Amino acid sequence: MARYGMALDYKNCINCKACETACKEENGILMGADKHRIWVGTGEIEGQYPLLDISSNAFYPSQCQQCDEAPCEAVCPTQATYYDENGVVRVNPDQCILCSYCMNACPYDARYVEERGMTIDKCNFCSDTRLARGETTTACQNTCPTKVRIFGDLDDPNSEISEVLRTREHYSLKAHLGTKPKLFYLT
Amino acid sequence: MALRELVNKIVPIKEDFSIKSLLGFKKTPLNVLVSFMIVGLILLLVWGLAEYLMHGHHAYNVSREHPWGLLISGYIFFVGTSTGLCIIASLGHVFGIKEFNHIGKRTTLLAIITLLPGFIIILAEIGHPITMMIYNILTPGITSAIWWMGTLYGLVLTFIILEFGFALRGDHKWAVRLGIGGLIADVAAFTTLGSVFAYLVARPIANGPFIPLYFLLTAVVAGAFFMFMIYGFKHKLDFPKEVEVTLVKLAKILGLLLVVTMFFEWWRFITAVYGGMPERADTMMRIIGTSSFWIEMLFAWAIPFVIILVSKGKAIKALFFAAIPALISIFLMRNDMVHYAQMAPMQMLKKTEYQLAPTWIEYSPSPVEWAIAVGALGVCFLLYYVAEKAFDLDEEDHH
Repeated sequence: MARYGMALDYKNCINCKACETACKEENGILMGADKHRIWVGTGEIEGQYPLLDISSNAFYPSQCQQCDEAPCEAVCPTQATYYDENGVVRVNPDQCILCSYCMNACPYDARYVEERGMTIDKCNFCSDTRLARGETTTACQNTCPTKVRIFGDLDDPNSEISEVLRTREHYSLKAHLGTKPKLFYLT
Repeated sequence: MALRELVNKIVPIKEDFSIKSLLGFKKTPLNVLVSFMIVGLILLLVWGLAEYLMHGHHAYNVSREHPWGLLISGYIFFVGTSTGLCIIASLGHVFGIKEFNHIGKRTTLLAIITLLPGFIIILAEIGHPITMMIYNILTPGITSAIWWMGTLYGLVLTFIILEFGFALRGDHKWAVRLGIGGLIADVAAFTTLGSVFAYLVARPIANGPFIPLYFLLTAVVAGAFFMFMIYGFKHKLDFPKEVEVTLVKLAKILGLLLVVTMFFEWWRFITAVYGGMPERADTMMRIIGTSSFWIEMLFAWAIPFVIILVSKGKAIKALFFAAIPALISIFLMRNDMVHYAQMAPMQMLKKTEYQLAPTWIEYSPSPVEWAIAVGALGVCFLLYYVAEKAFDLDEEDHH
């Protein structure tokens, strides 16, 4: 049993979108702008030349935050959303009734309708694919050219992610909501 | 006539009830107009449901950012009105206000026939209704407001149908017992429906105790307007003394509820705007900038309240004319409430290459959504007409 999390050295992101492509390829996600498990948020340059605010031009790779206290899990009427043995928030499509309550409850807009089965889908750290095959990396992490993503077991003190979180400052998104995300943004 | 005898053993039906009696209404222009309207609404519903069965959720204008639309609000409108009617029905036999005794049976029927269209609408909204019935029982999500709401509404329907049956049989002891059960379950169910929104920590405009309480208040308001509409049509505005006394009393209760709701709204507005909290203050400012908010304020609250205040509740004919625009406004109000909860975008940074940077989330219902939500009203009116012909809905005061 592990407790998987991901640290994002987001300042290294160059917005090449290889992670999005790898995710779609690995997990068979349909094409289309609103069908994505992961995305790169883009802050555009603000201000007028020559006083351009280049600090606003940052890239924020994001996805399901794999909350320890996930609002989407609590609101599911049929327990289709559940925590697996590795602490990953997952969806059992057989039990999903498409009430869309989880989409409304998620503070991160991380869920979408998977249109082949008409059930809700989201990032599950490649649990169905790579982790199920015994690999130890996610598709987005494996493909990243600037090594933004560090994926691993938060309970293992010797894992790379544990070491990074011990030695570098980091923050989580909307942590004030009490969701206890397992995605950490390294500063 | 074996079937008739069998049904008669369970609940008494009128002697002259037959398909012929259903079609044999007086062909006055108003009656013909109403019958065409009912048929038209049902055809609209059938078309909407057929489109839904062919295209699923693609027939709706809901999106990733705005997953709940007009069908959720249509459901809230119908089941909320039903809750209000259930509360009004219990005023007589449960709470002992004797002027309401004679409307008990008819109002319970109204509660049933407004609940059923709500259920039709929600079945077209839930993506997998059969899966829902199976896994609601096999793996109940007891931390989910939707699970409690659905389960409680199942109980409500059982209670009020049994209550109506016992009332038809003249068994008032059991009708009252079941009425109490129905009332408790109904109040619990509709406030739980409010909590579906109130629990959303991600949505500051909806999060908190306001919506469940607001739902309860507006349910009775909607129920009261529905009563004015139905009784106005039934008596063609020539109210017998007994009905007039009841409706004047109901108008006074309605007046009080309108004041309380406006008071609630006022403090909700002030507390939301004060301090300028993001996603709450800006959303509230946007809400009061919409025309539908002011339509709701004018037709659902201000005009009926002024009529009641000026006439001391006696202008029940004027209230009949106010009731129809008020109900339409309440329908829009439910839609606005659902929309406002989802208006603020969750992800502030999206992929600008693929889609516009998020501002306010926009939503406009598709024709199919309108057809299902409005067409369900046809079922409501049809059931009422059939029940009126089949059952004796007026009771004598037995106290």
